[in-house]
Amino acid sequence: MASFLALMLEYWPQVLSGLGNTLLLAAVISVTGLAGGVVVFYLAISGGPLRRRLTEGYISFFIGTPLIVLLFLMYYGLPQWGLKLTPFTVAVIGFTLNVAAYNARYLMTAFRGLDPDELQAARAQGFSDLQVFQLVILPQVMRLSVPALTNQVILNLKDSSIAFLIQYAEFFAQMQDLAIRSFRFLDAYLVAGAVYLALVSVVVVAARWLERRYVLPGVRRAR
Amino acid sequence: MTLLSVQDLKLEYDGRIILDGVSFDLAQGELKVIMGPSGSGKSTLLRCLNRLATPTGGRVVFEGRDVLGPGVDERALRQRIGFVFQNFALYRHLTALQNVTLALRHLRRMPAAEADERALRQLARMDMQAHAHKYPAQLSGGQKQRVAIARALAMDPAVLFFDEPTSALDPLMSREVVNILHQLRDERVSMLCVTHDLYLARAAGGRVMFLDEGRIHAEGEVDELFGPNADPRVRAFFHQELRQAQTAQPIDAAQPMDQAQPAGPSGPAGLAER
Amino acid sequence: MSFLQILLQLAGGVGYTIMVTVACSLTGVVVGLGVAMLSRIGPPWLRGLLGAFTFIFRAVPVLVLLFIVFFGLPNAGLRVPPLVAMMLSLGVIAGAYLAEVFRGAFDSVDASEVLAAEAMGLSRFQILRLIEIPQMLRFAVPGMINEFTTVLKYSPFAYTVGIPDVMKEAMSLSATTLRGVEIYLAVGIIYFLIYKLLVTGVWALEKRTRIPGLTG
Repeated sequence: MASFLALMLEYWPQVLSGLGNTLLLAAVISVTGLAGGVVVFYLAISGGPLRRRLTEGYISFFIGTPLIVLLFLMYYGLPQWGLKLTPFTVAVIGFTLNVAAYNARYLMTAFRGLDPDELQAARAQGFSDLQVFQLVILPQVMRLSVPALTNQVILNLKDSSIAFLIQYAEFFAQMQDLAIRSFRFLDAYLVAGAVYLALVSVVVVAARWLERRYVLPGVRRAR
Repeated sequence: MTLLSVQDLKLEYDGRIILDGVSFDLAQGELKVIMGPSGSGKSTLLRCLNRLATPTGGRVVFEGRDVLGPGVDERALRQRIGFVFQNFALYRHLTALQNVTLALRHLRRMPAAEADERALRQLARMDMQAHAHKYPAQLSGGQKQRVAIARALAMDPAVLFFDEPTSALDPLMSREVVNILHQLRDERVSMLCVTHDLYLARAAGGRVMFLDEGRIHAEGEVDELFGPNADPRVRAFFHQELRQAQTAQPIDAAQPMDQAQPAGPSGPAGLAER
Repeated sequence: MSFLQILLQLAGGVGYTIMVTVACSLTGVVVGLGVAMLSRIGPPWLRGLLGAFTFIFRAVPVLVLLFIVFFGLPNAGLRVPPLVAMMLSLGVIAGAYLAEVFRGAFDSVDASEVLAAEAMGLSRFQILRLIEIPQMLRFAVPGMINEFTTVLKYSPFAYTVGIPDVMKEAMSLSATTLRGVEIYLAVGIIYFLIYKLLVTGVWALEKRTRIPGLTG
């Protein structure tokens, strides 16, 4: 293990850039995935039954199929149609579509727990549907979903390692590189595991803080 | 013949005295009621007797054996004591019949057919054979109570403990419970019943002990205890319970009389005010 | 090669995909049950240890753990077959998540029923086996379905350790036909169908064993 750590030190810039790429991807898809989730959620609860069925189909399909299939489709499939995207672009698009589906589902669950009278009251006051969504529904639903949404951020961080399979030079890809260079596979992967554990621990601590701060008093948390 | 003898039973928990030297005897075939306000320690008292709680002092002799000493087979002891819980505590994933056979199958190791037959007899005794295959969620409160009693009786216990048997029931069902207690008393089943329900304490027709703040303050036949020379604590408890029953009255006019029979001249109110 | 032919070609890997999913899900249930049971009846120090176990295995990515087990352990002289490597990584991680699901479901078991069982004279283990687990499993159905779905969705990692599942078939087909878009679209549809089958199957099972008043 000591000699592997020495090797890591030698390739420090490479490891660090990998770590940076992991954090970049995780951060970007957490933001786009949340924005996408809100949009899908809006589409699902406003408009007619057809649109609701379509958005529910979207959520169901992306929850039911592996993300890696979507990534492979774009990364290995699209070039055959002459469309070549960078690994980062593929990862961002693929993750966003996938994470948005999950986030929309959490928001829907929280939405079902809202008091319908409250929405009626807002409409009775003369607010438009979009205003009701912005001013009454979204603030409550977002707070109710804080535990689920922060949990999704942890999943994003961990799952960003999948991008290694489409040649994105993230942290796990760099560790894989070092493993092959040194033939110390066990050491390399154990270190990788420990780093993910540390990163996730930081997010967990931050999430606990966020939960305490943003959970509405007197409102039951969505499971 | 004395079945159960409790001597100077004490329980301290977290610096608080829950039981402060309780002593009484229960004879074979006797029905005894322990009455007292909530928080008086009566439920804890029952739990000490089958070692669900551990007293800090005193002696309990059951069927001639010291129950609290070391080396007592707790599980064997509990199988000799039928326990009917306040909220019935039926196993929700089992039918009424399965609730009754559970102990027979897994403690007595009885074959399924024999256990079923025996359980059905107990359910019939409680007039519940028609509901044998229903789940607890499909039974009313009173029916659950009957199944819980059948479950406790199935193991042929030496004594039956009732913990607040009427508190989860409406007044009409409380009368049913009294009928069951009478039936079992006529069958010479030894019973110890803990309650804060004045109606039950009075109607059960056994000797009544008044427990408050961990001590027994009065003991006697119903009329002695509720009579003119009653202990001041008993009187205070009485008045408080009556007031509660009376203030509850206008809210639900359908069930005014049973809980404590406040207005009836022959009820406990009449006795207390005399 | 028509889309239907692609689907038929890929169907050859479905058996392996289902095998990996079922094997890892079962591993997860066994590990999750073990952890949840031990932390319910075990001593406090063991509870702390099991808490650390679930935290760690929920923090490490499946792919990383799979590589530790399959490519790493041989460095320590331990060679693990591909399916076992999947069970020890994906399965154990699912176990850590399921332990949390079961823990929550155990908490839904009524404490008074446990007390009544104690008063009856049942042993702690009998209470667990006869009262708590049968109820807990029913409360845990929605959580279990979520976790089995997650296992299915991570099962394509099996291709990285050489298991010829749907993903592996798709990769070789895509390399020879250069029709990646249709192929991976077909793969997506296949997984979605397996997912639907899985969810419907578990709910059908739940419905058959449903008890009035007891749902998760």
